[in-house]
Amino acid sequence: MEFTFSFASLLLLLVVFSLAPLFMGVILKVKAFFGGKQGAPLLIKYYTLIKLLRKGSVYSTSTTFIFKLGPIVSFVTAFMLLLFFPFAGLSPVLSFHGDVIMLFYLLGLGRFFTVLAALDTASPFEGMGAAREVFFSALAEATIFIILVLFFRLSGGSLSFAEYFSGNQVVNLWSQSAALIILVLIALFIILLTENSRVPVDDPATHLELTMIHEVMILDHSGPDLALIEMGSFCKMLFYSAFITCMLYPFHTGIAVFNFIIFITIMTLLYAGIGLVESITARYKMDMVPNFILTSFALVFFATILTMELV
Amino acid sequence: MNIFFLAILLIGAGGVLALAAFKSYSLMKTGAVLAIIGGCGLGGYDAVKRLLQHTEPAVYNHTWLQVSTFSLKIDTVSAFFLVSVFVVSAVAALYSFQYLNDAKRATATAANYFFYALLIISMALVVCANNLVTFALAWELMSISSFFLVIYDVQKKATRDAGYIYFIFTQAGALFIFAGFGFLYSNTGSVGFEALASIPDSAKFIAFILILIGCGSKAGIIPLHIWLPYAHPAAPSHVSAVMSGVMIKIGIYGIVRFYLLLEPTSALFGQIVIVLGIISGILGVVYAIGKHDIKRLLAYHSVENIGIILLGLGIGMLGAATGNKTMAAFGFAGGLLHVFNHSLFKSLLFMGAGAVIQQTGTAKIDQLGGLIKKMPVTGRTFLVGSISISGLPPFNGFISEFLIYYGAFQGLQLQGASFLFSILAIISLAVIGGLAAACFTKVVGVVFLGEPRSDLAVRASEPGFSMVLAQLILAALCLTIGVWPDYFVQAAFRASQAIPLVADYEITQFMPIITNISRTVILFFLLILVVSIFRRFSYAGKEVTRSGTWGCGFTQPTVRMQYTGTSYGDTIVDFFRPFVRVRKKYSGINKIFPGETTYSSHIHDISEIGLNTFVVHPALYLLNKLRWIQHGNIQLYIGYIVLAIVVMLIFI
Repeated sequence: MEFTFSFASLLLLLVVFSLAPLFMGVILKVKAFFGGKQGAPLLIKYYTLIKLLRKGSVYSTSTTFIFKLGPIVSFVTAFMLLLFFPFAGLSPVLSFHGDVIMLFYLLGLGRFFTVLAALDTASPFEGMGAAREVFFSALAEATIFIILVLFFRLSGGSLSFAEYFSGNQVVNLWSQSAALIILVLIALFIILLTENSRVPVDDPATHLELTMIHEVMILDHSGPDLALIEMGSFCKMLFYSAFITCMLYPFHTGIAVFNFIIFITIMTLLYAGIGLVESITARYKMDMVPNFILTSFALVFFATILTMELV
Repeated sequence: MNIFFLAILLIGAGGVLALAAFKSYSLMKTGAVLAIIGGCGLGGYDAVKRLLQHTEPAVYNHTWLQVSTFSLKIDTVSAFFLVSVFVVSAVAALYSFQYLNDAKRATATAANYFFYALLIISMALVVCANNLVTFALAWELMSISSFFLVIYDVQKKATRDAGYIYFIFTQAGALFIFAGFGFLYSNTGSVGFEALASIPDSAKFIAFILILIGCGSKAGIIPLHIWLPYAHPAAPSHVSAVMSGVMIKIGIYGIVRFYLLLEPTSALFGQIVIVLGIISGILGVVYAIGKHDIKRLLAYHSVENIGIILLGLGIGMLGAATGNKTMAAFGFAGGLLHVFNHSLFKSLLFMGAGAVIQQTGTAKIDQLGGLIKKMPVTGRTFLVGSISISGLPPFNGFISEFLIYYGAFQGLQLQGASFLFSILAIISLAVIGGLAAACFTKVVGVVFLGEPRSDLAVRASEPGFSMVLAQLILAALCLTIGVWPDYFVQAAFRASQAIPLVADYEITQFMPIITNISRTVILFFLLILVVSIFRRFSYAGKEVTRSGTWGCGFTQPTVRMQYTGTSYGDTIVDFFRPFVRVRKKYSGINKIFPGETTYSSHIHDISEIGLNTFVVHPALYLLNKLRWIQHGNIQLYIGYIVLAIVVMLIFI
């Protein structure tokens, strides 16, 4: 229940954070491979960030301060998630009992501002993207909270990321409730794709604004503002991937350095997996997306009902 | 107790003064507003003091007409509700000073202040009532005074209709409450509150259900909420603010109070309340997304928030029934704190809506747009209210929702049905939160951001100073509770200790969690500051230009092409069919050179349709057959009364 702070973890966080653009490069590389192309260099996202940070901006005459506030809030809220997450078995930078509820609500705040910034431009396309984003994320919220419910049951009353992945009753594939964790992993992967606007929910590489969700909301952002949005989305992706990774391997035991290497390896494989999914599936029709998200909810709900007998 | 009576007296004096001085318009307003604010300030101070200090409950008894005792008692629960009543009423009075500015309607305005004062007094009396008769009298006074406040614009037909609907619902609700009271009286043989805990369990259940229906119709629990979306748009905005912010919570108070008095042990009570909370919460927000009249939309959000409050209370009741102290304490504290929080942000939002309507002359959101440029302060305070009501940090709505979540999570340690109800509560809270954010991005986006969709929105400007100040005060309170919640959570915990189970429970052991939330929020603000500086730094010396919005290759966009509130909410509303009846009319494009096309959509409330088909129409059919009883002959009416009494004396 204490508010803990760890310095070594801050160092690790910065390392992982600085690797986030590289991981995104992995996705692009895998997609290029399946497309039979050589593709952009692995470091492409770093170049993009540097390019954006060196540019100026053009603001729409329709916009107000909210348009400028949007990128800041969405980046800060996504970054705060990382502060509370235990990477590679090390305790998180900050942690307290109950932090998961707060953090997912902070993500909601980031989304609130992203959506408002989109509506601020008076563009019909951005309104369209915003309407989709709020609907799909409201559904995804249900899955996230049922996962929290299940984890609370499995770990004997945990309500923070640190508690999930350390202590006596951890939640991962090597614990006694592994069968349920498999369902959670699938559901969480679906949520990862949804929340990070990946295929088959959304296609970050499409060229038709009408079919976009997240990308269309940030059409009018440019320069450092866009860089902030990009970094925010890297953080979010990093968080969900790390969440899955920590469930795949018991990082709370073993040697730190060794753990770190395994962590990075699994993360890379996971990002490659996302690239693989993006390469071999097509984007769903918009009205299929709610079913896709609700599938993830059904999986975890099923797992939760099972705990009534198992635990 | 003396300060309480002084406050009531001052508020009442304000109301009477308004009536007396209606000939001098500004004197009347100044006098009334000052007296009401003064009285509320005094009463609020007293209530806060009682809540924060461990004072014994104050009791006042006065035997009256030798028939019944007029009895008041202020304990922590009463004090908690009194704070909401006085704070919101005072701020709304301040708002009304420049909101009511039609000197030609001096009499109506004077009457408005009189009934406004009466409403505050009656609400304060309801929450302090200490026997059935006092409760019933104060309740009726509250209903009637609010009815007169709703029909301020009595010359409009829509307002009169809204007034009738409200009156019918409030009186039908009162009938249920009185039936419940009668039932209680027949079991205990006294009008006092003391003996209620000792009646048999089955009697408790029946009485609680009757009171739940009665209070629920006041609070706006689906399907008894139908009057809200009619009454709120019709009433003046400061009245909507008080009615939605505080008066409907008096219904919640009734439920809480009789739950505490009856001390039921069955888990069924909590389960019923949770189910009602889930239905009201989810359907309330879905209907809100489908509505395009800003005040009607806010009215449906009141229904949603009543749902959240019921979820909290239901979790608390479930915790009390299963002996889970943490769950009981957090559920009740969360529900109660949400009562207070909702009273702040909902009145803030109604005031914002009132300012928009006053400035533009329309309440239809699809005709507005870009108002934050014309009304910078109102726009920002409305944004604060919107984030708060969506339950997002760093504002107050999150704090109370967090408490409810925390309580519900404790319920996961239970087995069987209680476990399932806890899961349902958590999932519904999450979905409600997501949908509320969807709805309020729509309101803020369509009303305040983008470009004006009609000329009405172009002419707007910032409303009068007293209106702006009122909104600023409420917005500041929302932020304060969000950033430094400790005292407020403690107060809510103290009120929740009225449940016998947790009366001696060490609540302070949980305060570190609240402090940690506060720290995280401060960290959030620090990071926002750091990133803002970084952003400022990265723009230093660079070219920043302004241009039109990127039209994706289309070079002739018009403001009519913007996404409207209707299109924004369409997919969500569609998803919730058949709980929402959607009627669309679309002329279609059917010629090679398409002519004018039209599209319209209406969202119908299934409870309203259900009530019409299954209650109102059959009742009207039946009553039409009995028309002949109503002939206008007074002598015969008196005969009816005598006959009725004789028949009752024979049978009972």
